[in-house]
Amino acid sequence: MKSIYFTLKYFAITLWSMFVIAPFLWALSTSFKDFNSVTGGATYIPWLQFEPSLEGWKVLVRSPAKGGVDIIEPYFNSIFVTCTASLISIMLGTLAAYALSRFTFKAGIIKNNDITFFFISQRIMPPIVLSIPFFLMLGFLGLLDSLFGLILVYIVLLMPIAVWIMVDFFNKVPKEIDETALIDGCNPYQAFIKVVIPNSIPGLIVAVLFCIIFGWIDFFFAFILTFTEVQLLPVKIVALNSSVTPWWSLSASALVSVAPLVVVAFIVERYLSKGNLSGALK
Amino acid sequence: MAKIEFKNVGHSYDQTAKHPVYALKPFSLSWEDGGRYALLGPSGCGKTTMLNIISGLITPSEGNVFFNDQNITSVKTEQRNIAQVFQFPVIYNTMSVYDNLAFPLKCRKFSESHIRKKVNEVAEILNLSSVIDSGAKRLTADQKQLISLGRGLVREDVAAVLMDEPLTVIDPDLKFKLRRKLKEINSKYKTTLIYVTHDQNEAMTFAEKIIVMDSGQIVQRGSSKELFERPSTTFVAYFIGSPAMNIFNCSIANNELILGKFKLKIDKNPDQITSNDLKVGIRSEFIDLSDKPKENSIHVKIKSNEDFGNYKLLTCEFDNLEIKVKIKREQNVTSETTYLILSKNRLCLYEKEKLIN
Repeated sequence: MKSIYFTLKYFAITLWSMFVIAPFLWALSTSFKDFNSVTGGATYIPWLQFEPSLEGWKVLVRSPAKGGVDIIEPYFNSIFVTCTASLISIMLGTLAAYALSRFTFKAGIIKNNDITFFFISQRIMPPIVLSIPFFLMLGFLGLLDSLFGLILVYIVLLMPIAVWIMVDFFNKVPKEIDETALIDGCNPYQAFIKVVIPNSIPGLIVAVLFCIIFGWIDFFFAFILTFTEVQLLPVKIVALNSSVTPWWSLSASALVSVAPLVVVAFIVERYLSKGNLSGALK
Repeated sequence: MAKIEFKNVGHSYDQTAKHPVYALKPFSLSWEDGGRYALLGPSGCGKTTMLNIISGLITPSEGNVFFNDQNITSVKTEQRNIAQVFQFPVIYNTMSVYDNLAFPLKCRKFSESHIRKKVNEVAEILNLSSVIDSGAKRLTADQKQLISLGRGLVREDVAAVLMDEPLTVIDPDLKFKLRRKLKEINSKYKTTLIYVTHDQNEAMTFAEKIIVMDSGQIVQRGSSKELFERPSTTFVAYFIGSPAMNIFNCSIANNELILGKFKLKIDKNPDQITSNDLKVGIRSEFIDLSDKPKENSIHVKIKSNEDFGNYKLLTCEFDNLEIKVKIKREQNVTSETTYLILSKNRLCLYEKEKLIN
């Protein structure tokens, strides 16, 4: 019985792994093809039977004047905007979440849960609702088509995620930990920094991961709030499209754009599985 | 170390309510410097609220708290120099055992050599020396609670060590040893210890003075002997002792106490009594058996005789009332009926649930 369960479990894991990895392998194979290999006749093993070419990759770094898209600058713009906005969102969101988790706020009928919902509601709302206000506000501030403007907008978009995740996490961190730190001689800020934050690393990692993912994959706001001065990776990749879909360079750009997320996932995975909080109380 | 004083301190968690419900009804009380106290009472009686008021985690809605005659009601927790141990172990998971114990001293910026000396000393007392460099997270629940306890004991100058049922997760043998250790620490360093518990045995064996609480108020304060022999209310009489005190409704007529069909002599002046709400109580330990009637004896039928190993517990019946009697294990009871002697100096008379002195 146990061996059947074991076999079934590993069969399911293998099946799922193939389902997840296959598109990557397919994209990897396609990125080394060219027009002829993609549009040519049928082959027995299309992933392997072709003449390898670096054309798909070269297009990504070639200047537009030479028929390329040059994603290097947008790539670093995306990294800069995503990291900065995520960092600020996590810092502000963690503080807000801690306050919402530990202190009681009351203004008429509005209480802590309503404030938390207000943060989350920013994400529930369709992004299109925010597009015109954001456009007008950034225009008023002279921040359209600028990295700073994008960072501001992304903070507004990412902070609710940080607050949402961290409120839930702090609610699970026993308040006796903070109280013990106060009794041991910390002031509330020291208790937060020295004791609560180290005990909340798994929650912080999850929040960072979500902020980075949502910041990195955003196309909508990057598209409507930037024009020519500043461009982010998702917008630039769209420029690859033409009358004949260039699957080889699209595949290469897909791999390039997903790479940072894969790296981040590998780095934080061990922290996620550690469950640092278990046993803090009881 | 400090003398702690409550002056008309009361607390309600919902201060905005029109008729606030008190978790702690206003009262005054003082804890002498270096004393060993137990707060005893059922769950929800206000014990933890009282501790949290001392440590400053809660600001009382009424009254003032004094440490050595200095009003510290609005002084923040971190400035009170109090140590508090919670019911369940609270440890800093990301630190080692050493760093956990050293944390309160580091926060107060003691020198590294002093910290090392004190931490090693406390680790030795609590048998934590062998795991001093291990990560605190990996330890067992009782070792974690020892760390919590250690963080409370590592500071010599602490105003008081407050313990909120700290030995709940500790196994019985270690519990006994730790209680003894705490007593040693109290006599060695003269640290004021306030120990919250709902276990009367723990309170009786640990404390010099026990404060019994019920429904947010203090019902009696005294030594374990006083609480056992002269419980000031019927609540204390029921709460302290195993089995609880035998308590019956009664009346007074012609200077005698009428208990069912029996008349008993009492050493109280009946003029003190003003109402008909009277009860009489006697501990099962203070009742003697007799095979013939004597002064203040009642004739009872023995319903059951249970052997508890170190004593026997008789459950007897008279006038449809049950009375429990503790007798020595060697004492043989063969007959179905017997006489119980209720000595008048052992009888506690309660008017409106309060002891008549």
